[in-house]
Amino acid sequence: MTASPLLDHLLARRTVLVTGKGGVGKTTVAAGLARAAAAKGKRTLCAEVSYEKSATSPLAQALGTSAFHEEPRVLGENLEGVLLTPHAGHLQFLRDSLPVRMLADAAMKSAAIRRFLLAAPTLPEMGILYRLLDLLRRKARDGSPLHEVIVLDLPATGHALGLAQIPSSIIEVIRSGPIHNAVREGLEMLRDPAQTTCVVVTLPETLPVSEAIELAHGVRKYEVPLAAVVLNRVPHDPFTVEERVALDGMQLEPMRTLGARRVPRIDRAKAAKLRLLDLQIPVRSVPELGLETDIAAAVATALEGGP
Amino acid sequence: MDSRAPALTFPASLLRDKRVIVCCGAGGVGKTTTAAALGLAAASKGRRVLVLTIDPARRLAEAMGIPASGPKPAAVPEDRLRQGKISGKLDAWMLDPKVVFEGMVLRLADSPERAAAILENRIYRALSDLVAGMQEYTAAEALYSFVESGNYDLVVLDTPPSRNALEFLEAPRKLSLFLDEKIIGVFLPSKGGGGLFWGRARQLVTNIFGRIFGEGFFEEIQGFLSAFSGMFTAMRGHSESVRKLLLSDASAFIVVTSPDPSAMVEGTFLEEKLREMGLPFAGYVLNRSWAYTRGLVHPREIPRPANITAIGESALVKLAGLADEELRLAERDRELLAKLRDKGGSAVATPQLDASIEDFGGLLYLAESLARPSAVEDATVL
Repeated sequence: MTASPLLDHLLARRTVLVTGKGGVGKTTVAAGLARAAAAKGKRTLCAEVSYEKSATSPLAQALGTSAFHEEPRVLGENLEGVLLTPHAGHLQFLRDSLPVRMLADAAMKSAAIRRFLLAAPTLPEMGILYRLLDLLRRKARDGSPLHEVIVLDLPATGHALGLAQIPSSIIEVIRSGPIHNAVREGLEMLRDPAQTTCVVVTLPETLPVSEAIELAHGVRKYEVPLAAVVLNRVPHDPFTVEERVALDGMQLEPMRTLGARRVPRIDRAKAAKLRLLDLQIPVRSVPELGLETDIAAAVATALEGGP
Repeated sequence: MDSRAPALTFPASLLRDKRVIVCCGAGGVGKTTTAAALGLAAASKGRRVLVLTIDPARRLAEAMGIPASGPKPAAVPEDRLRQGKISGKLDAWMLDPKVVFEGMVLRLADSPERAAAILENRIYRALSDLVAGMQEYTAAEALYSFVESGNYDLVVLDTPPSRNALEFLEAPRKLSLFLDEKIIGVFLPSKGGGGLFWGRARQLVTNIFGRIFGEGFFEEIQGFLSAFSGMFTAMRGHSESVRKLLLSDASAFIVVTSPDPSAMVEGTFLEEKLREMGLPFAGYVLNRSWAYTRGLVHPREIPRPANITAIGESALVKLAGLADEELRLAERDRELLAKLRDKGGSAVATPQLDASIEDFGGLLYLAESLARPSAVEDATVL
């Protein structure tokens, strides 16, 4: 393992994808990562996918604002937030690929074209990918990237792979032309270990870990670089080995004894971590905390630590 | 209804009356398990029930004794139904978008040749390989065909997680907008007619799409749409029917949430969105709550055997620490339940089980806790 902390490894990339099944605290990890990046002095953009032009979301709330919008807005020092919408991506794409800007604007005004772009399968995802490319290309006055790091909280669906899977299908079906070229460029960006990396978030329970392992294999199948697994809400084990032996010897009924339902969770968490180590990438634990603790700071600490 | 009869409360009344129950919620809250338990509870009242899930959940399938994937719904085996003294019928299906779509093409195409042409189309094949995006369209289509079939009294639908759930709710409308013949007509090779406006629109589309999709591909899209065009009227009819059904009294939407703060935020968001869309929101299920503490003994009060060791004693002291933690969570979850009831009118809690649902017994336990009238439940177990 390298000596450099995981956080530095992640923040040396332009795009950090945060993925995981729903309910695992993926958004919290994305927010924590974006905050940590900003605190390290990186010009950071925290992004999420949306089909609306502005939306309240758990991510916006985790970053202390009520809503995200289609254009980046400042959230704090070095930190901005944005919604990646298919609409913004399509518009930019049409402007970039049609000879006259007016034609692009006319196209986006056409109900037929707008509906087609939003309703035809895969075209919304293509728009989102193009929007990401567009934001990555933006430059500051001195020519350096406007946003050094984009932390992208991927949608919490069963098909979190969409971002890589769909482009691969698109370029197979559409074999030439501007869409093909744009999507291929996006895919190359997603697959370049110097530019992109991915973190899988999961919970220390049996089923979520199985799903995370499947997801990790999927990410690898589509050749997106995978940096680490973050195991969220890992319960603290208060017992010594001897105490556990003694406790197990008492054979208390879990459904009759207060507190006993919290013991098997500890065992499942340990087993979960062991299974994840098979992926041969760093597995970082974020401890389960009280209800009002600063989780973002805990995420940063977990990622900061050495190997 | 006889006013003296004890009124069935949420969600028990829905299990008896509705034809469609849709479970929405953030991912990871146990939505699929809740949908299965609701189906089980309705079947125990003698109804013929289908549970339609979108997320493949292998362990749940195992618990129910059905295959994790298959071409059509599978019946929960008799012996399991007997174990739960269930008089009705319970089928479940882990929805396979490819199968649903193929079935639709075969049913709706003008001729078998036409159907084969569609299924062989390069664009169709690429699209149907993508799980993403197809789920939403096909969930609505599957719902339509199963409700229409008349084989079931109730269909319980588990939606894709979170905001995608809304994607599913929008899918029929989106599809029917897209399938508007005028819109599709713009993409199809001109047959003349349609008036000046559509003539211009067609020109614009041909111009722009010809450029961005590249040589030849736009023609392929046109070919694809033409092959489909005979089916559009029927598809639009289905999606309108699904929309009507979902908006009607025959349907109920349940938001499933867990005490987790982000799941609660999503739950509230979904409730607002459902109300905004005019869909019949029925109430909340607060899943995996710690709210149930009645009958549990605190480790401090466990009688110690005379020969308890110092290590045994310290283990119990630490367990007492976990118990105190659990009491705090119980208090939090009861507050959440009260808050949901203030807001949404109806809410019910299901217990945090020893482990995740591993077997049919666990599912039955959950089904019983959902079928109980909530007032009774609160008095006896909280």
